[in-house]
Amino acid sequence: MATLTVPALRTRTPAVLRNRAVGKLLLLALITAVLLPLLHGRTWPHHLTVSLTQPLTSASNWIIDNRDTHPLFLYFFGYISNAVVLAVRAVYVALLALGWPGVTALGALVAWRVAGPRLAAGTAVAFLACGALGMWEPTMQTLALMVAAVLASVLVGTALGLAGGLSPRLDRALRPVLDTMQVLPAFAYLLPVVLVFGIGVPAAVLATVVYAAPPMARLTALGLRGADPEVLEAVESLGATRRQRLLTARIPLARKELLLGLNQTIMMALSMAVIASVIGAGGLGDRVYQALSTVDVGQALAAGIPIVLLAVVLDRVTGAAGADGAKGPRTIGWPYALAVTAAAALAARLLGVLDWPNGWSVQIAAPVNRAVDWMTGHLYSGVPVIGGTADWAAHFTTWVLDPIRDGLQWLPWWSLLLIVAALAWVIGTWRTALTAVLAMAAIGVLGVWEPSLDTLSQVLAAVAVTLVLGFATGIAAARSDRVERALRPVLDVFQTMPQFVYLIPVVALFGVGRAPAVAAAVVYALPAVIRITTQGLRQVDPAALESARSLGATGRQQLWQVQLPLARRALLLAVNQGVVLVLAVVIIGGLVGGGSLGYNVAFGLAQGDLATGLVAGAAIVCLGLMLDRVTQPTERRPGKGA
Amino acid sequence: MSTTTPVPTRKPPTAQDEAPVFSVSGLWKVFGPKPERVPADPELGALDAAELRARTGCTAAVRDVSFDVRKGEVFVVMGLSGSGKSTLVRCLTRLIEPTAGTIAIDGEDVRAMDRTRLRELRRHRAAMVFQHFGLLPHRTVLDNVAYGLEIQGVGKAERRERAAEIVAKVGLEGMEHRRPGQLSGGQRQRVGLARALAVDPEVLLFDEPFSALDPLIRRDMQDEVARLHEEEGRTMVFITHDLSEALKLGDRIALMRDGQVVQLGTPEEIVGSPADDYVREFVRDVPREQVLTARTAMRPASLGESAEGPALTPDATVSEAIEAVARTGSPARVMDHGKCLGVVDHEQLLGVVAGVPVAPAAGPRATPEAV
Ligand SMILES: Nc1ncnc2c1ncn2[C@@H]1O[C@H](COP(=O)(O)OP(=O)(O)OP(=O)(O)O)[C@@H](O)[C@H]1O
Ligand SMILES: [Mg+2]
Repeated sequence: MATLTVPALRTRTPAVLRNRAVGKLLLLALITAVLLPLLHGRTWPHHLTVSLTQPLTSASNWIIDNRDTHPLFLYFFGYISNAVVLAVRAVYVALLALGWPGVTALGALVAWRVAGPRLAAGTAVAFLACGALGMWEPTMQTLALMVAAVLASVLVGTALGLAGGLSPRLDRALRPVLDTMQVLPAFAYLLPVVLVFGIGVPAAVLATVVYAAPPMARLTALGLRGADPEVLEAVESLGATRRQRLLTARIPLARKELLLGLNQTIMMALSMAVIASVIGAGGLGDRVYQALSTVDVGQALAAGIPIVLLAVVLDRVTGAAGADGAKGPRTIGWPYALAVTAAAALAARLLGVLDWPNGWSVQIAAPVNRAVDWMTGHLYSGVPVIGGTADWAAHFTTWVLDPIRDGLQWLPWWSLLLIVAALAWVIGTWRTALTAVLAMAAIGVLGVWEPSLDTLSQVLAAVAVTLVLGFATGIAAARSDRVERALRPVLDVFQTMPQFVYLIPVVALFGVGRAPAVAAAVVYALPAVIRITTQGLRQVDPAALESARSLGATGRQQLWQVQLPLARRALLLAVNQGVVLVLAVVIIGGLVGGGSLGYNVAFGLAQGDLATGLVAGAAIVCLGLMLDRVTQPTERRPGKGA
Repeated sequence: MSTTTPVPTRKPPTAQDEAPVFSVSGLWKVFGPKPERVPADPELGALDAAELRARTGCTAAVRDVSFDVRKGEVFVVMGLSGSGKSTLVRCLTRLIEPTAGTIAIDGEDVRAMDRTRLRELRRHRAAMVFQHFGLLPHRTVLDNVAYGLEIQGVGKAERRERAAEIVAKVGLEGMEHRRPGQLSGGQRQRVGLARALAVDPEVLLFDEPFSALDPLIRRDMQDEVARLHEEEGRTMVFITHDLSEALKLGDRIALMRDGQVVQLGTPEEIVGSPADDYVREFVRDVPREQVLTARTAMRPASLGESAEGPALTPDATVSEAIEAVARTGSPARVMDHGKCLGVVDHEQLLGVVAGVPVAPAAGPRATPEAV
């Protein structure tokens, strides 16, 4: 826990503030002292839990029994489900009809059109690589699912965003919901949709939509709200109707945010489409999932590489569309692009090579597995002096994870609530503190106190490692342009990769267990932490630095006395992001032996024991909410002064 | 050229018997909770800004303002930052909804207009130029200029053709296909001006259009506006906080302070006889000899004086008169259509330069406020 408070304590808060923090802590201590006689026991008291297993099981049974008969399912969810299946199927059939030459041509030409020839070449190479790895078909399945999900997400997101952007009241209602959805781990969304739709493509698509639509909605609303008021006033002064104002001014003015929203939605959709393999999405994610469950690293890698390629290509192309540079000379027009695509598809059909030719595939699974076997034999343990990777993992588990978990479980439950309250209140407001405490208490009430603390211990360990590495690297990058330039491309790629693929290398390196889950979480969260730290430090007011330098401060003094305190907000944001991202992957780590909540969800899905899964899912939501609120810096401090 | 006009102006006087374009009376705009009670309650209305704020939480941006904008004149509203100028001009087309009072355009009640009528008013009768231009960044210069016509539903070819004409008129030929981001500040404001002109409005409203520009460009743009006004005679309402700009462009100036009009008159009246200390302080550094005219400075001619000496028009500035008097060494006559209105000699002229209050010249000189 201590690591979380470090940035807050390091800052040189003015005396008043510090006093305020002390006051808050004293108040909390007082409350506890009064309540202490009522509180006893270590783990969450049994009489305070509410068992939801019974009602949830009967609800899920009812749904399963009535899925084919009840009008709600027949006439509402049934239609949705059919529409989704139809849409995905239609896209998939279209992609197959184009064949690999057609799809590659289409992808490259679209990339050319919106982002220029270099990305066009990159796109073509990426598609060909997918084929060469023998993954053409699953790639198309994933793509079909994504196209349907992204279209739906964009529709839903834009509609919500328009509502929020045009009506302040709706905005106030929507924003906290969207903000919260943004911090929840992907896994939490799986079970509710499965409950209604059952395992399969509709559930996967809908989970993806729910996960991917919020960024579109947020950014649409942000863009609409951020329009220059004088421009809008000018438009109104010319007598524009409301519709005209929306279509000719507000939406075009929000173009940048809309495209950024599209980019984020696509990236989130890919991430979720892969994770949704555990609820029947099929495609690349499924290949990775199947391979990982048998610890077949070679197969997992063969399916993981196309995922990474897709992610990078999609991110770059949509990112370039949003950049200002996109207004350069257009090289090709849409009709031309479509004509070339059609020609490529036709030629492939005539030549009979619509499907990726078998002989052209490179089987990388076997050599990779040989390499992994060699690693298992030579690097896992017993390497002189440094030990082996499995040894490290074991040591990490024994010396770090176990003590933290045992410590958390040893602490009396009310003292944990107290710590949560204190942290959230000191860093944020009493509102965030209240939400955090309630979320934490809800975990206890749900009866999953112990496994949640296990998950929490992994999160804390991973966050500690992430912050140490992230702050160190971030400071280095902020102080040296060379380091930053070297890091940037690496961070760019790492930040675009879906969470799921991080599991592949850690399983190869460390086997399965809690330590690999933590390692994957660290690697996943690190880029964001580094980036935010670097930006925060670099944005410190140059005048403040200048004056420190003019007073003869050394580089170290400048860092500790000026840069870090002034970058407090950015550092807190880095902590917050780090916590949210770590949690997402620690949960997924349940698939590779991370245990606890993530495992419960996976187990519930695999065994059809939806009640267990749903309770774990709810606990994940509460944990995510708690961790986010505990690390959420005060947004603004208006009110009394202003 | 009516000879009955009692108000001396530098430019050909505008006919006052014609109906005013804008007629504003008792206009209030109060921001804050329950704003209607402030104009309704004379006690609240009399409070100053700080007291009003403390008592009601409201800000009265415009308080009980009345004036007429005559056809063809440049009506300047001047005041320091926060004096309510922008609010006032936005009330004219109800971009800001007034709290109380009446506004009429060509005799038609603006506050009674429904949405369609109001839109009609904004589309065809009054167009506005904004301080920060308010251009659409994603459109070319030509499409920005044509935007008002597009809103009106004019076809593409026609509106582009008309826009191209206006673009040429404001001196932006060759830049039709640039985007606002690729223009300098002065050029952007020309686009803003062209956009307003393109809809051929009856009145042009300017809200501090040149205060974001640097001084040289500002002077260019002022000349541009003066030229347009001379060529087309379009009625203009011009907001500024720059006194020299007001004096240069304005036929009449309303000086605002804390939402109220403290003086309304010709530049000459404002400079020559400030209504109170505030206005006096405001115009203290103005080179008076360049604003005041011989008509104001003259005294009745004594016998014999009306026959000799250099002749000046009544609208000649005092500095021109000084030059004439210094050259000849004798008093100069102020002649209007062959008739001698009076004379100016050293005494009057020095009095003007020194700021000694000028005794009213022949004829009544009432500020319209007092009417
Ligand atoms: N939307 C608003 N809500 C509350 N108060 C406002 C609002 N708009 C303006 N005011 C207040 O009304 C007063 C007049 O503002 P206005 O913008 O009309 O001044 P201005 O003379 O145009 O100043 P400037 O030269 O700075 O543009 C100011 O005190 C301002 O704070
Ligand atoms: Mg203003």
